[in-house]
Amino acid sequence: MTGIRELVKPDRVHRSVYLDESIFEMEMERIYGRAWIYVGHASQVPEPGDFLTTRIGRQPVVLSRHEDGEIYVLFNRCGHRGAVVCNEAHGNARHFRCCYHGWTFHLNGLIKAVPLQAGYSRDVDFDDPSLGMVRVPRTDTHRGFVFASLAPDGPTLAEYLGPMTRKIDDICDRSPAGEVEVTGGVHRYEFPGNWKAQMENLNDLYHVPHSHESTTSGGRQFRRTGTATGSRLTRKDGSPISFWDRTGVWAFDGGHSYCGRMPDAGPVSREEHPDYVAALEARLGPERAAEVLDADWHNAIIYPNLGLQSMAQHIRVIRPISVDRTEVLVYPMKLRDAPDVLNRTVIRYLNVTHAAASLIQTDDLEAFGRLQRGLPADGSEWVFLGRGLGAEQPLEDDFGYRSEGTHELPLRNQYREWLSYMGEGAN
Amino acid sequence: MAVAESIRDRASTPLSSEAAADFLFMEARLLDERRFEEWRELFTDDGYYWVPARPDQPNPLDEVSIFYDDKDLMETRIKRLRHPRVHAQIPHTRTAHLVTNVLLEPDVPPEAEALVSSKLLVATYRQDQQDVYAGDCRHALRREGGLWRIVWKKVVLINCDAMLKSLFIPF
Ligand code: FES
Ligand SMILES: [Fe+2]
Repeated sequence: MTGIRELVKPDRVHRSVYLDESIFEMEMERIYGRAWIYVGHASQVPEPGDFLTTRIGRQPVVLSRHEDGEIYVLFNRCGHRGAVVCNEAHGNARHFRCCYHGWTFHLNGLIKAVPLQAGYSRDVDFDDPSLGMVRVPRTDTHRGFVFASLAPDGPTLAEYLGPMTRKIDDICDRSPAGEVEVTGGVHRYEFPGNWKAQMENLNDLYHVPHSHESTTSGGRQFRRTGTATGSRLTRKDGSPISFWDRTGVWAFDGGHSYCGRMPDAGPVSREEHPDYVAALEARLGPERAAEVLDADWHNAIIYPNLGLQSMAQHIRVIRPISVDRTEVLVYPMKLRDAPDVLNRTVIRYLNVTHAAASLIQTDDLEAFGRLQRGLPADGSEWVFLGRGLGAEQPLEDDFGYRSEGTHELPLRNQYREWLSYMGEGAN
Repeated sequence: MAVAESIRDRASTPLSSEAAADFLFMEARLLDERRFEEWRELFTDDGYYWVPARPDQPNPLDEVSIFYDDKDLMETRIKRLRHPRVHAQIPHTRTAHLVTNVLLEPDVPPEAEALVSSKLLVATYRQDQQDVYAGDCRHALRREGGLWRIVWKKVVLINCDAMLKSLFIPF
């Protein structure tokens, strides 16, 4: 293989980053093994004993709430001989019990009981955490968003998130209680392509009028309306292609970025929901309330596995499976103490845009699959990401750059970060 | 409306299990023959089609669903399937809907006149990839203008909470 550093040029990347299994293995180790990875939300495990299972990269982990009320992220691996302990997507348990020889563990991972313990030498220390379900090296949360890092050292979560912290805050602050609840189910789907295709797509406004033509043709885009009982999605004229450029993209250190708000995004109106708007203003002040209601961003990317959307507010989690197969999970965020109609509208809209049978996301997945099938073709070994190169403008009040909406700045920004993870110690 | 009309005669009290099965078979045929507009016409104006995203999902309002279409959304979905540049359906998915174990259920909901349960097996094929979906199906039916129509149709796939591939054709 060519040296890792040779794979990323200022305006292009080598196709092997999407195709080569050994590069995928290295990504799991060097990116997913080091970065802060979004694991889940505290509202998914509200009570002591609650747990859910997921993966960091390809490693099985459990997010649990111990009897002390604290949240733990544990490797889902028995301290005895290594079997997966929690076999369900989520649940509530007094303790975790391994199916193989019956070792049991507290929800903080420490051993609770070992059958026939007398058969072990007295030297064996069953309080040793390494014989339990081991905690991942670092765990931290921001407003209920639980992140974990498999690296013992590195930037703190706050340093890592940087300006993206504000994006999480924008959504949480739409709740009169300042909290979101991830209790609206999940859209779960896969695509036959590389995980980076999904991360790149989240801030790719160049594709929208073309990929989604069958649903948005004639410059039309879905518009959600505030009805809880009908799945009425009216359409709104406007948004010619030039619109997407005016929308803008912003890119930051860490591979993070976001794009500007969509043409059909509009704030919740004071006329329709006066009590709700008043509650937000009381909590945040009128200025911040207006800011969060009419967020100036659409999709925010927290590299490498998390996307947030402000319009139909949801969390998107990317779980790589192999170099050419990826799982995606889309969770609506409910605003605690907000009118039901607002939360239900989001859920209804997400069915249209992000279900496995959606009218929108399926277009993107088709494109990701076609990338995976097209790239092995010879002719060029390079993937061109040069749109808008050199046009990015440094931001005045933040470390970062802005460019026109259809520019590929966010993609180049991801590869800059990719290289800094992958290139470390490489030639 | 040829299919619906062919069962016009059967829209008499009460619905027999044979007539219910015929209705379901003909509905399945409309989908397999890509007669989506006629399929949509089987629904009452307030009718909906629901495929939950988990087995015991209590309602389609508070949690996301794989499909939750009223007639408006069905229309949008069908227009998209007919669009000349619906990239994800070029070539389109072929389907075979197999309907079996048809039973009339005793607990008819107030909005309907009959509740029919069935098992559904749907084979889909697109671009060298064949998949099979299976599930439990409920049709709430009501008579309108001498025809049986669908008030709601609910399909609970056995793998509804799995990581799914893209879906295009209603089950
Ligand atoms: S592997 Fe878990 S108890 Fe033996
Ligand atoms: Fe898209």
